[in-house]
Amino acid sequence: MALCLTLLAAGDACRKSPPSGVFDAAATPTARAILLQLKGTVSLKRAAADDWAPASEGMALLENDTVQTGARAQALVRFPNGSTVLVGEEALIGIAETGGAPGRDRTDLTVKRGTVDATLQTPATQDLSVGTPAATVRGGREIVFQ
Amino acid sequence: MRPALLALFVLAAPAPRETVVQPKETLSDVALRTLGSAVAASELKAINHLDSDAVAPGAQLLLPGPERELALSAIASAKSAVQQAKPGAARTEAAERTAEAERQLSAAKYAEAAAEADSAWKLLSQRVEDPSRFAIQVAPDGTTRVHVDSGIPVRVEAEGRTRAVSPGETVLVHKGEAPGIPTGQLATPTAGTLEAPVLLAPAAGQRLALDPKGKGVGPLRLSWRAVAGARGYLVELHGPTGQTLRTTRAEANFPSVLTGSYRWSVRALGVEGALGPAAERPLELTSGNIKLEVQPPDWK
Repeated sequence: MALCLTLLAAGDACRKSPPSGVFDAAATPTARAILLQLKGTVSLKRAAADDWAPASEGMALLENDTVQTGARAQALVRFPNGSTVLVGEEALIGIAETGGAPGRDRTDLTVKRGTVDATLQTPATQDLSVGTPAATVRGGREIVFQ
Repeated sequence: MRPALLALFVLAAPAPRETVVQPKETLSDVALRTLGSAVAASELKAINHLDSDAVAPGAQLLLPGPERELALSAIASAKSAVQQAKPGAARTEAAERTAEAERQLSAAKYAEAAAEADSAWKLLSQRVEDPSRFAIQVAPDGTTRVHVDSGIPVRVEAEGRTRAVSPGETVLVHKGEAPGIPTGQLATPTAGTLEAPVLLAPAAGQRLALDPKGKGVGPLRLSWRAVAGARGYLVELHGPTGQTLRTTRAEANFPSVLTGSYRWSVRALGVEGALGPAAERPLELTSGNIKLEVQPPDWK
């Protein structure tokens, strides 16, 4: 604690390493995916923001961020495990929360409208879970809970 | 006539397509006598459009054609694949499709039974290393359409129900409903476009000496050139050991077979159980080594 007080003026180093089991609301959010190959009008709304802003190449996508594509637009979302999702025109997608709600299965992405094309180059080692208003779609490695 | 030649003659002879009900025979008895299973009475009932199991002595009954054997073979392969598969949605789906195939079989719908069983087998025999590609389309009302282009099956879950969707298939899910049955196979080669495999080894008429294994010899390895567009192969071994197996590779391995004269045949499998023409070869199997079995002495 004394060390943290000493370093307080120097930055937020202490906040980046909270004690185990302590929730730190101010922790730096982890990038869940990267936005690439943008074409046409692609907009991004951060989880904490109220307004849409133009998306740019290489932008990190965080939990609960939303991406929207316009007419004749598209974008590629790349996840850390290498799986990719090509978002087609006039689509609305969301980056899912890491933890998810208790009792519900994990998802990486939610598609609220439009078309997405998913690719897993090595499905034996990759997995991708996509939620929609009607279903959950799981591709790649199958994890069986005994 | 030598037993091996007699076996070949019996295999080559076309099966009768009709039978006459003998005195005191029930429909189950006729099914057991002609089809080898009393359970197949339901098939005879369906084929002959009977309202009940009662049959009069002297009545002539139609018997199923060779398509029944194909359906039985497909179901056996599907069951085997289900038994060997790891637990998971794909296995559950394959088991359901196999059960549906058996229901179709009991109703004498042999083509449908073969197609259903083949789809179950295919579900579990996809190559894991192929890239997985699938598309998800969400309509304004939330209705979701999932189409799988390639790779291992994709699992689609809704309302507590999971469907495995294979390459070439599409499933539609309406909001608040379970996933529908996957449909829409892509156009792929059918029986008419499949060629007969070119058999590679063993050579025609070869006398092969194998090591003793179990009650016979083995392993017997058969290989052939891959057929363009084939989804798998049906391999049949006719002789002292009659065996049929399905494989996705251009080779087959029989761990142990009895010695004697055989014919082996390979046919390419297309979609929905479609079979290409067969390539066939004779083969002679002998024991290459003398098997020494040393028993412990019974004296002390």
